[in-house]
Amino acid sequence: MKGYRHSLFVALFLLLLPLGMKSGSLATELVIYAMAACACNLLLGYTGLMSFGQGIFFGVGSYAAGLLLLHLGSSLAFTLAGCMAAGACVAALVGWFSIRQRGIYFVMLTLAFAQMFYFMAYSMKEITGGDNGLLGIQRPDVTLLGHEVLDTSDPWAYYAVAACVFLVVFTLLQRLAESRFGHTLLAIRDNEARAAAVGYDVKAFKLLAFVVSGAVTGLAGGLHAMLAGIAPLSNIEYHVSEMILLITVVGGTGSFLASVIGAAVYVVTADWLASFWPRWLMLFGFLLIAVALYVRQGLWGVLQDVSARLQAWRTARAAPSSAPERHPGRQA
Amino acid sequence: MNLYLLQLVNGIGLGMIYFVLAVGLSIIFGLLRFVNFSHGAFFLLGAYGCYQLVQMGVDFWWTLLLGPLIVGVLAWLIEVFLFRKVYHFPHEIHILITVGLAMVAQEAVILYWGPVGANVSPPELLQGVVVWDSFIYPKYRLFVIGAGLALALVLGLLLEGTRLGAIVRAGSESTEMISLLGVNIQRVFAAVFALGAATAALAGVLAAPIRGVDPFMGVEVLGIAFVAVVVGGMGSFAGALAGGLLVGIVQSMMSSIWPPGASLMIYVAMALVLLLRPNGLLGRA
Amino acid sequence: MSEQILLRARAVIKKYGSFTAVAGVDLDVRAGSVHSVIGPNGAGKTTLFHVLTGVVPITGGTVHVDGQDISRLPGHQRVRRGLARSFQVTSLFQNLSVRENLRVAAQGRAPWDVLRMWPLPGRADDAVGVVDGLLARFRLEQVMDRPAGLLSHGQQRRLEVAMAMAARPRLIFLDEPTSGMGVDDIQEMKQLILELRQEGYAVLLVEHNMDIVMGVSDVITVMQSGRVLVEGRPDTIRNDARVREAYLGSMLTGGR
Repeated sequence: MKGYRHSLFVALFLLLLPLGMKSGSLATELVIYAMAACACNLLLGYTGLMSFGQGIFFGVGSYAAGLLLLHLGSSLAFTLAGCMAAGACVAALVGWFSIRQRGIYFVMLTLAFAQMFYFMAYSMKEITGGDNGLLGIQRPDVTLLGHEVLDTSDPWAYYAVAACVFLVVFTLLQRLAESRFGHTLLAIRDNEARAAAVGYDVKAFKLLAFVVSGAVTGLAGGLHAMLAGIAPLSNIEYHVSEMILLITVVGGTGSFLASVIGAAVYVVTADWLASFWPRWLMLFGFLLIAVALYVRQGLWGVLQDVSARLQAWRTARAAPSSAPERHPGRQA
Repeated sequence: MNLYLLQLVNGIGLGMIYFVLAVGLSIIFGLLRFVNFSHGAFFLLGAYGCYQLVQMGVDFWWTLLLGPLIVGVLAWLIEVFLFRKVYHFPHEIHILITVGLAMVAQEAVILYWGPVGANVSPPELLQGVVVWDSFIYPKYRLFVIGAGLALALVLGLLLEGTRLGAIVRAGSESTEMISLLGVNIQRVFAAVFALGAATAALAGVLAAPIRGVDPFMGVEVLGIAFVAVVVGGMGSFAGALAGGLLVGIVQSMMSSIWPPGASLMIYVAMALVLLLRPNGLLGRA
Repeated sequence: MSEQILLRARAVIKKYGSFTAVAGVDLDVRAGSVHSVIGPNGAGKTTLFHVLTGVVPITGGTVHVDGQDISRLPGHQRVRRGLARSFQVTSLFQNLSVRENLRVAAQGRAPWDVLRMWPLPGRADDAVGVVDGLLARFRLEQVMDRPAGLLSHGQQRRLEVAMAMAARPRLIFLDEPTSGMGVDDIQEMKQLILELRQEGYAVLLVEHNMDIVMGVSDVITVMQSGRVLVEGRPDTIRNDARVREAYLGSMLTGGR
């Protein structure tokens, strides 16, 4: 099953990452953005929905984690569940409004909602801390039946937690994509009218995908709040929505593995560039344009291209008369 | 004077700026079927153009002309060398390209002028207030209302009374048809795109003395433009006016009733309108 | 030919603003019959089609299937009542394989079953039998793993009809099924429609190709300006002066 191969690859990647990354925090950030990108990809690559509102769920997840930890002192598991629930609920609300529209009107609505939630967070100071955000968030330890199993104050220990959570999420998302539900989403992406004509309630399916995406993005936001110790206003800014979408597009929408690649490239490059050029974001702007114009399948598409050519070359060398077949795009 | 009356008039002024901003976006989509997420960037560049020119000693009155002109030419170049090649691509690609451009523009602004932002003073003639009975009101804001109305008139006449306007209106229905009628589509598209960008820049110039300039105003204003267009109805000139005014008035009124929620209420109003009229107030189905 | 009336439409009205596209149409479609709707351009055939399949909301009148009122039911829910449609312009799931296209279509009869995440779609599926049968019948076995977007035009048109049948409907709406087809393919389609009738399906057909219409129909409804002009058996219609006038004579003398 293709999915398990990808999950194994991700597991391997997560195991080897500490060897290549200089800090546990940076590695955790990579995992967090990979999660957010996968959630965005579920919408973009699988359902054909371009959402500029992923930052909403990221921010909501952050706030949820902050509030649960600051006011209830909740356990890690409970906090994570809470972030997912918060993300899912807000996604249901935003999705219900936005999905009534299609095409670019949908996109515009998600952007408008992103702004709306930003201003909401800004003005509800008593809950969100407004401009300052929620401060002093304590990272909960991993406990089992009341006994501490893992002390998460060490950055690499927390990385281990985030990586495990991500691996589970990735495998589940992969499973979802290959399930009949996932294929229905693909069908909807390909041809909404036809999907409706053969009996699917297209709006309901889109909403479902939106809610799943919101839950996963909320989870990522919650992990981020626990990583940084704060739930800042900036986590719900339009910029976050933009970045998540950028990572997803640059990585490629062909598979969830592509989103991991996109996140890896983004986090590593941004970290490296930021150290000597504060305006590194400009380069990503150009990168986005370049990808949109020339390499629409993203880095994943480039990799697939290269590997296909490599295979063809190898096959041609082994048996000069054989003609290898290439299948375009993603098949189901 | 009555606070609510003051805020209402403020709202109309703001609404005029939003109308000028939204009308370009609406027409560009209506005719070119091109989704322009860099519209806010043109606003930004117009505002900073004004700031820079004023810093260099140019009279504000000239910036009203030069700002839109420079941005219009820039937009025209971008249309010819970049956008023209991608009209036939799916809308999502348009969005990604223009978002990328907006990002580049924002970073370029920060690169040149710094991240902090600055103030722009209105020209001497328009400084101070107008006093009429109990009605005391800043001269510059009255000017903005006047300028907005004038532009609305000019654009309206352009659309209804000229050949270019007729082409734009007809082309919004069917571009195939007008190209069959012997119109040079490429030049019309370039002209309309440049005009749309120029009006966004003009909105930026008009707004600069009121809110100052900062590198993030492009993003903020893009959302507002979308709201105005979505609320008023996409592709509709009157819709852009209605949407812009509604947004401006809501924002201004709320800034007295509940200041932190002023911007929020714009979006809440949008959600309400969409609940009741999914195609906008004056939109086509 | 069974007497059972599957679909009963009464006084169907569809308005777009002030424009009336369908101005009061009555229609009965019987099981095991082929019912064609013809008429000059602008007669309202396609709009009627869209109202009956639920693509556009009805303005007035009723539509009953098996005695149940489906007039205001959304299009996607009509599939469960036994209605299916094909598209005039080929409309497939381009990136999915032929097999998957059919499986998704077959699943549409019970769409929410997809929420059962186990098992993965594959051999052990209830829809498999249906899909395999359709692949064989429409001669698509050779290309079953190919993305639908890469099929030839004729293969795509066949897949179109196959998908309409995947949800085991009782009534099939065919919207200009021979549109753009070559002569051989047209004959094949004609044969297929006759087979469908034989097997007890009700087929509602909108067509411009008079050869097909005259050759397969049990009942022909002629529309003009949103109303029914005349309805009857092919012979009656062929000789009707009003119909001839409506078409200005040119189309009834043979195929296109």
